[in-house]
Amino acid sequence: MELKGEMSMLNVLHLQSTDLKEISQQIEAKRDEVPAFFLNSPVVVDCSSITDDLKKLDLKGLKACLTDLMFVPVGVRGIEPEQQAMVTKSGWPVLRAGPKKSTSKPSGKESSKPDESAKTDGDSEIQAQVSEEKATISRIIEKPVRSGQQVFVDEGDAVLLTHTSAGSEVMASGSVHVYGALRGRVLAGVHGDTNARIFCRSLDAELIAIAGRYQLLDEGDTDLRGKPAVIRLDGEKLIIEALE
Amino acid sequence: MSKVIVVTSGKGGVGKTTSSAAIATGLASKGLKTAVIDFDVGLRNLDLIMGVERRVVYDFVNVINGEATLKQAMIKDKRVDNLFILPASQTRDKDALTEDGVESVINELKADGFDYIVCDSPAGIEKGAFMALYFADEAIVVTNPEVSSVRDSDRILGILQSRSKVAEEGGSVKEHLLVTRYSPERVEGGDMLSVEDIVEILSIPLLGVIPESGSVLQASNSGSPVILDEASTAGMAYSDAIDRFLGEDVPHRFMNVEKKGFFKKLFG
Ligand SMILES: Nc1ncnc2c1ncn2[C@@H]1O[C@H](COP(=O)(O)OP(=O)(O)OP(=O)(O)O)[C@@H](O)[C@H]1O
Ligand SMILES: [Mg+2]
Repeated sequence: MELKGEMSMLNVLHLQSTDLKEISQQIEAKRDEVPAFFLNSPVVVDCSSITDDLKKLDLKGLKACLTDLMFVPVGVRGIEPEQQAMVTKSGWPVLRAGPKKSTSKPSGKESSKPDESAKTDGDSEIQAQVSEEKATISRIIEKPVRSGQQVFVDEGDAVLLTHTSAGSEVMASGSVHVYGALRGRVLAGVHGDTNARIFCRSLDAELIAIAGRYQLLDEGDTDLRGKPAVIRLDGEKLIIEALE
Repeated sequence: MSKVIVVTSGKGGVGKTTSSAAIATGLASKGLKTAVIDFDVGLRNLDLIMGVERRVVYDFVNVINGEATLKQAMIKDKRVDNLFILPASQTRDKDALTEDGVESVINELKADGFDYIVCDSPAGIEKGAFMALYFADEAIVVTNPEVSSVRDSDRILGILQSRSKVAEEGGSVKEHLLVTRYSPERVEGGDMLSVEDIVEILSIPLLGVIPESGSVLQASNSGSPVILDEASTAGMAYSDAIDRFLGEDVPHRFMNVEKKGFFKKLFG
């Protein structure tokens, strides 16, 4: 198992085992090396080494364990598409995999089944187009997002007509708009969109993040607390500005 | 049309059972046929506060298990017409409450012409609390003026609007905030959250504010719901809350520190 910083801010937990006890002991040991650094930091769980055994992993338990260890669980990545439902059902958002290395497939079968390989290529092209279109679709949430609840918009913006509570979490691949008080955690651009922004009518968030760069908003961090604000990313830095 | 009301909070000991007893008694006093059900299986408190503990023969779980009929288990109140109590079992655990069982009891009460079915929820967000809120049309969320209680109420509101039957069918449960054990002195002293703060955090309509009052303990010791104590501030505040629940526009009382002195009260 590895626990390392990526994109300068986001911790990624690369799982090599499905044994929750073993995992939690290792995380605890890692955390105890530099506790101040990891305290309350968001963590993404990468399952690409254990996709075949993912069923054996107690995902709910893992989330509880990370929370107990004072991490902020953000999402799971590195899973097969057909595992997505199972992962989501256990309360984890699914994030897109990390930057792909080379994906050239072994070409042994290609000569014997040329038709099939051509079809596969065509399919993936269509899929890419579809997801590009989806990226502009936003989701409108009419009810407050209460403590313990999570909203995850995989493709597009999250538009919240009321408030979010302390202890809630809103994530979107695009921007997040809150037409009320923002009091929980909010993560925009969760698939890496550095142009995503966070808008709110009253800024009181516990944590803000754009494209993996995050900041805990403690008392006194900004004089815009309780005021309309917009948050954007400038290089590696989150900029909080008044929303006029 | 029957309405199912859950009295819930998340946090324990905030005044759910006290409020359930007062609200059910208040509704029945207005001539509305009301049943109050104790969902706190294993603890059984409602019958004590309602003063009917010695009349309990069968309970909610007996009815669900088919060991008794609903008619046998329901206790008719002797003080107020139209009021019936369905006590919890002291000996079973919360798993005894099944969704089908609870639904059939609620449906039978509806068919019996009850106007209101008040469900006294246990604390927590586990099975018992979930069963109490699952069939609710309206929720009275009981909150004490402290941060942990408000946070738990927020959680319960999230569960109500996502996992209740009404929510699953795309509707929403009508929400009411009932702040209990309110002490204006302690709010002024900064030890407690003010009503304004709580309403701002939860953003749901305020049904009532029940002051901290010694008469609540007295009432529960004597087995008579505090709403029947017309001289107590808590009793009056519950009566006001019932009027508001039924659509009347009643100003809130007992929210500010009482001014000392007779003349100051008259002229100040
Ligand atoms: N307005 C009030 N003033 C003073 N004491 C109160 C008030 N309301 C409730 N209490 C007291 O608080 C205690 C808890 O009340 P109650 O049993 O109604 O809470 P509950 O939410 O039902 O608890 P549980 O979660 O255990 O079911 C009791 O001792 C009760 O007398
Ligand atoms: Mg109780």
